[in-house]
Amino acid sequence: MARSAASAGGGPRERDETGDEGDGASTATTGPPALAVEGLTKRFGNGGDAVTAVDDVSLAVERGSVVGLLGPNGAGKTTLIKCALGIVIPDAGSVRVFGTDVRDGRRAAYADVDAMLEGARNDYWRLTVRENLRYFATVSGVDPDSVAARHERLLDRLGLADKADTPVRELSRGMKQKVSLASVLAGGAELVFLDEPTLGLDVESARTLRAELRRLAAEAGLTIVVSSHDMTTIEAVCDRVVMLSDGRIVADDAVGALLGAAGRDAVRVASDDLDAGVIATLRDRFDVVAVDRDARPPAVEVAAGGDRLYDLTDALRSAGVTLSEVHTVRPDLEDVFLERTGASGGESP
Amino acid sequence: MSGEPPAAAESRERDDGPAGGSRPVGDPRPATYYHLARAVLYREFLIFVRYPADAIGGIVVALIFFGALFVGGELLAGRALADSIEGIVVGYFLWTLSVGAYSSVSNDIGSEVQWGTLERHITTPFGFAPVALLKGVAKVVRTFLTSAVILAVMLVATGTRLSLAPVTVVAVAGLSIASVLGLGFAAGGVTVLYKRIGSWLNLLQFGFVALISTPVFDLPWTRVLPLAHGSAMLQRAMVDGVRLWEFPLADLALLVGVAVGYLFGGYLVFRVATRRARRLGVLGDY
Repeated sequence: MARSAASAGGGPRERDETGDEGDGASTATTGPPALAVEGLTKRFGNGGDAVTAVDDVSLAVERGSVVGLLGPNGAGKTTLIKCALGIVIPDAGSVRVFGTDVRDGRRAAYADVDAMLEGARNDYWRLTVRENLRYFATVSGVDPDSVAARHERLLDRLGLADKADTPVRELSRGMKQKVSLASVLAGGAELVFLDEPTLGLDVESARTLRAELRRLAAEAGLTIVVSSHDMTTIEAVCDRVVMLSDGRIVADDAVGALLGAAGRDAVRVASDDLDAGVIATLRDRFDVVAVDRDARPPAVEVAAGGDRLYDLTDALRSAGVTLSEVHTVRPDLEDVFLERTGASGGESP
Repeated sequence: MSGEPPAAAESRERDDGPAGGSRPVGDPRPATYYHLARAVLYREFLIFVRYPADAIGGIVVALIFFGALFVGGELLAGRALADSIEGIVVGYFLWTLSVGAYSSVSNDIGSEVQWGTLERHITTPFGFAPVALLKGVAKVVRTFLTSAVILAVMLVATGTRLSLAPVTVVAVAGLSIASVLGLGFAAGGVTVLYKRIGSWLNLLQFGFVALISTPVFDLPWTRVLPLAHGSAMLQRAMVDGVRLWEFPLADLALLVGVAVGYLFGGYLVFRVATRRARRLGVLGDY
């Protein structure tokens, strides 16, 4: 049975975005989803202290798609991933991987699955980078000699070729994270879970890793489930976002659709002339989203898409306001999350 | 041990996979249990030769401990110690083997939990079970090498002569510490569930002294305890020169039975503990 991720393309990602290597751009999804979760529930503890970490979650991840799980700490992202992987046994619900119910044969179901989990080393730091790739290819069920050439390409692509024979313990944090990713891909997994892949990385390392993830997903047709509380990672890497709050799905859609649905085209204007009277006038005529009196100069954020922008500038001119700054404000996933959960702030997703 | 895991056989008929760019390119072959054994044993070998300080440190500490025991014993017991030095050397040799096998297995499982590598193994086609067993074998081989050095130094330092028939010594000592290996798996399983208990479980190794010196002739029922029967047989093999095939069949059967029983039992405890940890969601927590 060949689980051809090469024929993927059912996910929202446009496979031809890089234009050169992926062949799944126009191919329809065939076969069952890479991952199908139905009614998954997991509680920890008993009685009054019980916590429902995952609450009746159902979702399907099509082959070749890159799906992000977004939510604050404690939303249930990691537990959902671990339940999907069988590392945590759920209280209720089913998990099917490439159509195989994990209860019917866990090891067969997970034969093409690997994961990089949050806060874990995930590999052996006393071994070299290449030795890790060979070891984890073997335990993933692949004779490492038969994929040696692929390992070389993987090392090259992730910028690890020069460090291939260096023990992992001697590498930087960013490089170690790349080694984890390489070892996850070493066995040819077609469904990969990445739990907080950029956690603890500096800005530059996180950016590099995001770029690599996006390129690997586009070129190799992998199905990737990324969990993160970092919206930059989710927006940069994923086609689709599943937002979790208190163990439940609060939103599940393509990134663009979610941002579009957030729906407001707003502008932020700043001026020293924005006194209480001007702001009151603006409130009467426009949808004032936010007022920042502490900013220097003070600023207001006004929903003013299309022709309303002209109305706004006219109103400001009439009020004798000299503008210092004007910015377009685009809603981001945090806005969407807050809107969907009805939260007013606090911990960012 | 050969053949590939069913899951791998089913799923590896595929192309070059990730990072291969356009596919198909390569021809991945499924890994068999032979490849798994090679990978696990090679990893243990690499760590052994690449980081010899661990092994050397263990040898030095064991010899200092023995030196203190020997010198202190001579001061206190004088001639009486000289009469029983052969038994002490054999017992100490078995104790170093036991401690090495037990602590390396139980500590190793704890480390795998801490590193997140145990979780990764759980979802592989082979699972963690054969990996843990193969690692156990590697640890025993490694422990035999270090304990052989300790034995050699003890023999030279004390001027003691013992029968060192390799087949007999390796078979009897190996089967003796198989039961301890089982205890190591059980302790590893408990560590998976209750993470911080690991260091306390290491104290059990001092209980091995009592097991090794158990008077099995006076208390026959103690033969079913780990190490006790094997220790008595190893004394006869190394002190009296009894060869493996000269032991009564019942003794050999009991030796094998105790080894298999504790190994299987310990492994079962490990499996049950791991499953419970998965249910409680604490497999990877540390």
